[in-house]
This record gives sequence, structure tokens and C-alpha cells, in this order.
Amino acid sequence: MTKYDHIVVGGGISGLTAALLLALNGRKVLLLEKAPHLGGSLARFQRQGIPFDTGFHFTGGLLPDALLHRMLSVLGLVDDVEPEFMASERAHRFVFEADNRVIEMPCGIVPLRQKLKDEFPAEIQAVDRYFDRVEKVCAQTASMDLTRLTESAHRLDEESISLKDVLDGLTSNPLLKGILCGLGMCYGVKPSEVSFASHSRVCYDLYQSTARFKGGGDALITAFKTAFNRLGVEVRCSRWITECRVGADDHAKSFLLNTGEEVAADSAVLTIHPSHILKLLPRNHISKAFVSRVESFEASSGFFTVYGVWDGAMAPGFGASIVSLFPNANFEQLLDPSYRGEQALVICESVEPVRGAPRGVVTAFEPSFYEHVAQWGESTIGHRPAAYGDYKAGRVEAIRERLAKFNPEYRSGCRILDAASMLTYRDYLNSPDGSAYGIKQKVGQYNLIGKLPVRNLFAAGQSSLLPGIAGAMMSSFIVTRAVLGKDHFNRFVGGALCN
Amino acid sequence: MTKEEIIKLTNKVFEDAFEIDPEKLTPQAKIFDELGLDSLDIVDLIVALQKQFKVQIREDERVRTIRTLEDVYNFILILKQEEEKK
Repeated sequence: MTKYDHIVVGGGISGLTAALLLALNGRKVLLLEKAPHLGGSLARFQRQGIPFDTGFHFTGGLLPDALLHRMLSVLGLVDDVEPEFMASERAHRFVFEADNRVIEMPCGIVPLRQKLKDEFPAEIQAVDRYFDRVEKVCAQTASMDLTRLTESAHRLDEESISLKDVLDGLTSNPLLKGILCGLGMCYGVKPSEVSFASHSRVCYDLYQSTARFKGGGDALITAFKTAFNRLGVEVRCSRWITECRVGADDHAKSFLLNTGEEVAADSAVLTIHPSHILKLLPRNHISKAFVSRVESFEASSGFFTVYGVWDGAMAPGFGASIVSLFPNANFEQLLDPSYRGEQALVICESVEPVRGAPRGVVTAFEPSFYEHVAQWGESTIGHRPAAYGDYKAGRVEAIRERLAKFNPEYRSGCRILDAASMLTYRDYLNSPDGSAYGIKQKVGQYNLIGKLPVRNLFAAGQSSLLPGIAGAMMSSFIVTRAVLGKDHFNRFVGGALCN
Repeated sequence: MTKEEIIKLTNKVFEDAFEIDPEKLTPQAKIFDELGLDSLDIVDLIVALQKQFKVQIREDERVRTIRTLEDVYNFILILKQEEEKK
């Protein structure tokens, strides 16, 4: 039986981060991924030779000294990826269709604050109080400072109050509330359910800057793979744990893989979905309270996405940009599974080199929920019923019309090559429900992070802490700190940040 | 909510969610030493109590001082009283 220091389960950004952090500290690591390749939703795929992003379209935190930049520095990868900032105001826009208002989102809380005061002169106090509180939450969040990480974060008042309650206390202007809720698309929970703390942590870095990586998420995956080769991390794809063999002392002694092979490790970091973690833990080692807590987690929203390519000459100004079309400013409705009216639509444009020539690439996605596709939930890739095909064709047509309404040149210029539903994401990404952000981060909720009832197993991943690439990576920093010991880890992070 | 109701509902959490023998559920019972919970169970206990009493419980100083079942009863009683005052 091969023995490792640590096994990391799940090859998405969280698992990649945990595996590399452990390997950088001299540990012998096995990384298991169920899919045939690493990266999860960070990876790209190709249609007709055109590269498309699966789930990673843009992020905050890439300015020097911002959180994601610092995490990449600690991992030694910061020079391996090139951020492409969406710096011009046109590059990031909210369009409120019912109000006929376009809000160009400037980079930085200072200019954004000023912009909203200019747009809403009667709401100056509300705008200030909102941004003050967002900044306060982030300043008080230990995990947003790599040198002050802790597993049991001091819980702020803002964990117990919803975004909706905070905004209702600040203003009665529905459009301003809509603008402040607009980045809810980046965590997929409606304002009455998300805590103001989670909302603030996701939005803070996105307000400061919005960027993507040149070459998309693949550039980052390649950087991880190079580091794994150098450090001897053993990567096995199409492999997963089928059984944890747990001793009477509540420690896993060995792990059975889908190949029948048995491997052992001092500990394992599980970056998979909480419901999949639950399936791995033998019932005689967990309490009913634990089971009921994990089973009570709900799914965040996902997306219905179309992937298109620009055939004709690209429109002037076509380039890395994000435009969010909102039919109205009511995010309670727009992020409700039962809502069947016109959906929000996020349009990401980019220019990608294809066979040496620049091509305009478009990914457009609308919020979707598992409820929308549950009736075909038993089907698998390549074996979907005709009614599902009709649903998909209907959504593609609706999005095509929205795109043409947004910019008439889309009608003849953009060719849609493919589309993905919640079921597509579910089956390609081995997620239980195809949601984009794992479990919903709800007010007052206690997520699964760190040590599990089987003592040498640890939970990490975007469901553990905060949605998105930075939250997923951060959970692995926190958990690796618990695995390696805090003094050792703090010295390592301190040293890496000095270099 | 009366203290009797709180005792009954709290004991039910320990019986149902942690499968603890009802005979062990005396007010003096130490939840870590005698009832067999450990520090990792605390979050699950908080979540189960939140659900049972429909209150929000923060993992704060007050939770960290809990040692006995009586401490749990009193903690819930205070939370419920705070809620009524609001």
C-alpha cells in the first residue's frame, strides 16, 4: 500500500492550491481528480478550435497586494499568469433595462463611491454608509489577511444580517439597491438570504478591480502543473476515493480508490462538495447533528450559458468586457428559482488568439437553478430526452434575441457554437446539482471547513468559505495551516511574501 | 418560553441529534466529559439548537463558557429573553 503524507481530493482550484501549499512545505502529496483532467470549472474547453471558459470569467483581487495576488505570490505562481484588467469604465457595465439606465462601473471603491453619489445625489449618505460598512467587514475579516489566518473566524454582526436588511435600512431607492446587489451574480444567492458579510467579502475585491487571466483559467492550471512536476506531486485523474477505512480512534487509516487500489496518508484534504464529503464518512463515526447540518445546505444558483464566436469584423471597442443586463432591479426575484420572467444576462466578451489570428469570443450566461432542469435529472451526457433538447434550444433562442437587442450587430456577427445547462455543468464537473458556487452562503450559516468528525480529514473548497476563485483558494490556505500547524505555516507565508 | 420547555427541547436535541441516552441528561452533566461531545461537535450543536429554537446563535464568548447541560439551558433562556425584548 503506497503511503503519502497527504491526499488532496478534488483537482479544482481549491485542491490545486492545497496540494501545492503542502508540496511547497516538503510533503509527499497525492492529488486525486474524478474528471479526466485537472482544473474543474477553471479549465477551458474548445469548440471548433475556439477556446471557451467553463466557469471562470473574471475575478477581483489581482492588483498588487490584493488578496488573490498575494495568494499567487505565496504559491510562487504570480509571474506565471498575466492579468488582463478591465480598466476602462466601458469594460464593466450594469444595464437596467426597465429603468433604461446604464451604469459604467469604474475600478476602485473611491471612484465607484463618487460615481454613485453623482448618479444619486439624494442618496449620498446611503452610498457612503454602504461602502463604509463593506470596507469595515473586510478590514475585520481575518482570513482576508494571509498573515492573520484563523479557522474559527471571529463572527461579525454582519454574518447575522442579510444584504436586504442592510440595504432596506439605508435607502428606499430601488435602482440604487439593484446596483449594490448587482454583483450577486458572483455568488448566486438572493439579497434576503446572503449575509452582508459574505456579500462584502465577494464584492470588495471586485469593486477594486476586475480582471481575467490572459489565456483564461488554463494559464493558471498550467502553472500549477509545472510546479507539481518540479515538486513531485503525484497527480491522478479519473480517480476518486470510494471508501475511507476509519479506525476506532476516528482516524482514517487508509483509502480505497475506484481502481481497487488502497492508499494511506497521515491526512486528507477534501475539496469536494459537502454532500460528497458526507458520503465518504462512515455513519458510525458521525453524529446525526452533523448529517442534518450538511443535508440542510442548499444549492446556490448556476447558469445557462451560450458560447459564441464573432464571424464578421469585430465591433469597434470589442475586447475584454463584462456587461450585465438586468430586466429590473429586483434581485429577490432575479435570483429566485421560481421566477420564470425575463432573466438577467451577463455578457463576457474577449479576444482570443485562434490559429495566429485574433477572434472575438462571447460567453453569455443567465442565472439558472436545478429546479429548471430537475425533470431531466436522471439523464446523462449524450443520453438526454428530446424535451430537454427543446428546453435548451428555447433558452439559446431567448439569449440570442437578448444579445441582438443589446447590440444589433450580434444578430449577423455572432455565431453561437454551443450551450450548457445546469445538467451539463453537473455532469462535466461532478457536482451534485450543477450550481456555480457550491452551497448557498446563508445568513447565520455554519459551513463545513477544517477538521471533520473523522479527525485526519479536512474540508475545504468554495462551499467552505466564500464563492469564487479567491474564496476557494483561501479555504485551502486556512485548512493547510491547520494541517501543517500555525507557527510553521505563518513562517512559510511570511517568508514567501518577503521573497 | 418557559425554562421547562427549554429543558425538554434541549434534551431532545441531545437525544435525537447526538443519540445520547436520556438518563444521562441531567442539568449537572458535563457535555464534553460525560455526554461525549468534543470541540468539533460544538458547531453541530449550535446548528441543531438554532433549528430547534429558531434563534440565531453566534459562536461567541458565551458559547465558549458552556460546560454543563444547565449552561446550555440558561444560554437558550437568555437568547429567548433577548429575542422577546426586541
